[in-house]
Amino acid sequence: MDAATLTYDTLRFGEFEDFPETSEPVWILGKEFNALTERDDILSDITSRLWFTYRKNFQPIGGTGPTSDTGWGCMLRCGQMILGQALVCRHLGRDWRWDRGQRQRDAYASLLNAFIDKKDSCYSIHQIAQMGVGEGKSIGQWYGPNTVAQVLKKLAMFDTWSRQVVHVAMDNTVVIEDIKRLCMPWLDYGGACADPGGASALNGCLEGAGAMAEEEGPLWRPLVLLIPLRLGLTDINEAYIETLKQCFMLPQSLGVIGGKPNSAHYFIGYVGEELIYLDPHTTQPAVEPSDDGQVPDDTYHCQHPPCRMHICELDPSIAAGFFCKTEDEFDDWCMRIRRMSCNRGSLPMFELVETQPPHMVSVDVLNLTPDFSDSDRLERFFDSEDEEFEILSL
Amino acid sequence: MPPYDKPQMQKPFKLRKSFATRKLEVDGIRSKFPNKIPVIIESYQRERYLPPLDKTKFLVPQELTMTQFVTIIRNRMALLPTQAFYLLINNTGLSSMSLTMAQMYRDHQDDDGFLYMTYASQEMFGSS
Repeated sequence: MDAATLTYDTLRFGEFEDFPETSEPVWILGKEFNALTERDDILSDITSRLWFTYRKNFQPIGGTGPTSDTGWGCMLRCGQMILGQALVCRHLGRDWRWDRGQRQRDAYASLLNAFIDKKDSCYSIHQIAQMGVGEGKSIGQWYGPNTVAQVLKKLAMFDTWSRQVVHVAMDNTVVIEDIKRLCMPWLDYGGACADPGGASALNGCLEGAGAMAEEEGPLWRPLVLLIPLRLGLTDINEAYIETLKQCFMLPQSLGVIGGKPNSAHYFIGYVGEELIYLDPHTTQPAVEPSDDGQVPDDTYHCQHPPCRMHICELDPSIAAGFFCKTEDEFDDWCMRIRRMSCNRGSLPMFELVETQPPHMVSVDVLNLTPDFSDSDRLERFFDSEDEEFEILSL
Repeated sequence: MPPYDKPQMQKPFKLRKSFATRKLEVDGIRSKFPNKIPVIIESYQRERYLPPLDKTKFLVPQELTMTQFVTIIRNRMALLPTQAFYLLINNTGLSSMSLTMAQMYRDHQDDDGFLYMTYASQEMFGSS
């Protein structure tokens, strides 16, 4: 079937609302579209994303475990989608398009095979569920955005084909030095942590390292940066909404995993005040690759108009994702984030710093206990409910 | 980690004490320790994954950064570095980790003189 026939005129899905006709810009994974003149292009771009949903009748996880992830696997599937998008950028490029029924490049088949519901596929539901045990999640338990990010980080180490670094930035802080260390492990960073000029000196070192690095591959291991966040307690703090939108405008955007309370979604962009997302909550039968290694792939692409929801419905627990194939792309990302942080009125979702701030501090803890001699102090420190201050001293 | 099924049902500090009492407490402790910041740190009421802290009221050196403070709390809870832990200031926004306690206090102290922080991990997703 020709891609040109895949239009809004030929596709009619009663249960899915058509994409809105609006003059507001549509942003999808770092690309801007016009909803009035580029509707087919929008649909084709969204359909080209990998869509991972609940599946049934796959090999039992761990030999005797579940054969379906319906009801518990939605965040695991969202993790597959955001990593899948990183692999698309890595091996096929952001502008790659899926044509229904067309035979695709070999890289595409390899990519899809990495996510097939089998125990030995690199990023299968089996691998993700079993690796989660190390994160304290038994098989079938629900995941949060950070849980799946931590699991993907571990699984990526076994992916010798992609050789990507998955970095999970904790404590809402992205440390540039940590990332450069991971993506260019052949560089010597000895003593750089204490040196505030360390990051700028890196460029000088790079040329020298080039000859050495050439043998073992590129100068920069492609980076998948995942930033788990909590943008509020029960509801998202509105001061984050503009910054969240801006994340989808960055060319490095891999979107956001998160959801509505209890339902995980993969957010790929926004239009106006609505987020656009791929929804894993459809149970499809597991797919068997054919003998020639090709995967029947129709069910791995969402062919109906994408789901939308108001941005205020977003659960505050999310993880934002970014892909930087080269060091230049990462430097560009840092520059854009810094520029974003200066915007008035909105709050930055995370902080970008050059070096790891000192964590460790020796703190004397002084607990004021009743045998403390100074009775006058005691009177002040203890209130009627017998609650005392804990005093931290440097 | 198994979820902490029994959330501590204690009322938030602000609801346990009147404004006047809280203000008096701050005035008293600040006069004794003018270089320390009085901080109230409490669990999000629906938190199920982080262990409870044994203390609510802290006096924190004003030059301590948020990174250092979070490290102290994380260690006290014996969290793994990979576990999600967030401190929300006044129940709304995340704090910038490079700021000092003094800066946080200047920008976010409550009318009663305390600096309020709520800790939470992340929600889990699935449908029954």
